[in-house]
Amino acid sequence: MTWSGPRTGQGADALDRAAPAPTDLRGRQPKAIHSALSVIEEVARSGPGVTAHEISSALGMPRATAYRLIALLVEDEYLVRMPDLRGFTLGRKVVELASLVAPPPPPRAARSVLDALRGHIRGGIHLVRYDGDRVHPLDLDPDFPLTDEPRALRELDASAMGRLLLAELAAAGEPLPGTVRASAERVAAIRRETEAAGYARQVAEFSRGYGCIALPIRGPRGRLVAGLALSAPVTRVEDPGDVLDRLRDGARSLEPLLG
Amino acid sequence: MTALERAIASPPPVPGIGTRSPVEGLDRRSVGFVDVLAQSVSAMAPSAAATLIPALVAGVVGSPGGTVLALATALLLSLLVASCVNQFARRIAAAGSLYTYVARSLGAGPGVIAGTALLLGYGFISMFALAGAGHTAALLLGRAAPGAAGSPLLPAVVIAVLAAVVFAVVAGGVRLSTRVTLVVESVSVAIILALVVALLVTVGPVDIRALSLEGTSPAAFAVGAVLAVTAFVGFETPTTLGVEARRPFSAIPRAVRWTVLGAGGFYLLACYSQLVGFHALGLDITGSDSPVDDLAAANGVEGVGLMLDVGIAASCLACAIASMMALVRVLFSMGREGVLPAAFGRTHARFRTPLVAVAASVPVVAAVPVAVALTGVPLWDAMGVLLVASAAGYITAYVVACAAVPVLLGRIGELTVAVGLRAVTAALLLGGALVAYLVLEVTSERWVGVLLFAGGMLAGGLAYAIALRGRPWLRERVGVYDEPVAADVLGADPLPAAHGGE
Repeated sequence: MTWSGPRTGQGADALDRAAPAPTDLRGRQPKAIHSALSVIEEVARSGPGVTAHEISSALGMPRATAYRLIALLVEDEYLVRMPDLRGFTLGRKVVELASLVAPPPPPRAARSVLDALRGHIRGGIHLVRYDGDRVHPLDLDPDFPLTDEPRALRELDASAMGRLLLAELAAAGEPLPGTVRASAERVAAIRRETEAAGYARQVAEFSRGYGCIALPIRGPRGRLVAGLALSAPVTRVEDPGDVLDRLRDGARSLEPLLG
Repeated sequence: MTALERAIASPPPVPGIGTRSPVEGLDRRSVGFVDVLAQSVSAMAPSAAATLIPALVAGVVGSPGGTVLALATALLLSLLVASCVNQFARRIAAAGSLYTYVARSLGAGPGVIAGTALLLGYGFISMFALAGAGHTAALLLGRAAPGAAGSPLLPAVVIAVLAAVVFAVVAGGVRLSTRVTLVVESVSVAIILALVVALLVTVGPVDIRALSLEGTSPAAFAVGAVLAVTAFVGFETPTTLGVEARRPFSAIPRAVRWTVLGAGGFYLLACYSQLVGFHALGLDITGSDSPVDDLAAANGVEGVGLMLDVGIAASCLACAIASMMALVRVLFSMGREGVLPAAFGRTHARFRTPLVAVAASVPVVAAVPVAVALTGVPLWDAMGVLLVASAAGYITAYVVACAAVPVLLGRIGELTVAVGLRAVTAALLLGGALVAYLVLEVTSERWVGVLLFAGGMLAGGLAYAIALRGRPWLRERVGVYDEPVAADVLGADPLPAAHGGE
């Protein structure tokens, strides 16, 4: 597989948003991290609206320590203070934390659908999940690894699975992430092409002679939750024929499992 | 499966979270820590204060050692107050600063008292800064064009031009404003710091006798410390960027703390170098109008006066921008609540700034120093009066805010003994300092400043009473801030987490 150029588009903006890197870890800090995680767990256990006082009592933690930890977690937006100012709830950012630590595997039934597809189709079969403006790998085909996985997941205008989300974001009028460098016209063209075909396509964007198509998997209220992708030689991608029907069937069976 | 995994897999519904913030329209979460810091440093006008305050404090305290100690005491008191302000800043992301904090804690009435005091602080300091920048810039222009020097028209025109700059920068977007203040203030601090270091090098080894405490009574020392506190006011301005700062609960408390610490160190260094410098010359600092200039002249350093003027003019301009940024955001909050006409709460679609509040306030703030310049009253005297009115406003707002800390924390069940003690101590000490300051100034030639402050507070109270008539619900509206929206919270509609067991 070839290296298809430098990864770009994730420079200043991503750096700017990132939390400061931990420079050193010593003394009581490992204990503090443990305590911080147990505070997050406690908020998850108690549900939205739990107060700082309740958290410290439930954990048997000194109040000043608990308040300090909660303040730090609020600073980093893992916890959010409710509008009544008393209660706390989990911030959307904990999803990032959790998926970094342990990406949730797809249900077993979903894996058997993928196995069946992989048995019948010559090419890479990949499953990704969409979260806001991000693409997360759920199950990438180990026999056909992506040419440039970080770029494929990050640059929404490059990969088919990215273009699927890009078209969705553009249709909803949502802001596009900073990693999208395509012009507004290009984005509109991707959206038109995707909507007309019912799937997104990429030809020779990553390696010559190869391309990819990605079919949407939708949840309740038609929300795009995941994408099923096939990477294959260009001829297959440009004229998928009955492979497309198989993929459509697969996407339909995955819908209740992932949506 | 842990509780966290369960919560992420199927987030429990979170009631009471809207999709739009009550302060929508500002450029939410758009500026970083450095921008926030630039604003608060600029609002303190450290360069101007570092060159003016030591002589002022020394004049009251009577001994060089007492002067340095008085500044150090003011630094400690300011740190105490800053820690109280940060109790709010870590919990509430607002554009209304202490006004919103106090309203959330003690209710609308005390909130309006703090808000009025804060508006007086920001408004009068902006007038002071415009006058200072105009005065100094006019002196600089006078050197270049001797024909224009001495005409009252020159400073008036310069002030008007600078006010137009302030208008454009404050209206043009929060990022533009903070970046401009960052650059201008950096130039200013670099100039003053270079002068101070040059002075220390010229004076040579330290003579410990330069810092004697002789001749200082405790009362004189206390008054000196109170005067020195006025050099620190403005450190709370980043709390007006609660909506616009990225990671506000981390960036804003840090900016507040570092501004006080950094400015305090800068003042102590500047004060020390000036005192040592005058001691080495065998002169008295209190007899000097422009200590740094006089010291440089006595030591034969050329061109210092010019650099000093550039530094002070830059510092004043940055201070005017930063203080007006804060002022319009308090007005914006009041407009959103209905305390002021709703137009004040409107933002420009592209610049994402409260344009009506800017258009309504900048001309008023500019008109005062322009009028003073035109009537021929010495700008320097008028600036002293404006500074008194401003400092009284700031300190009043701080006192109310410190008193409000235990009430809010008690209500939300997060009050600890240490924090409560700190807040009560700060409120009592600063309250005493405020009374002492008002008494001191009302008996000085700057008594008009106290009058302006008192009149402003009265006018604010009256305006609120009138606004309340027929609209008692207004009491419940006061205190809008940037509440969390669905996009921030796991499990809030209408954007549930992506993969869920729905």
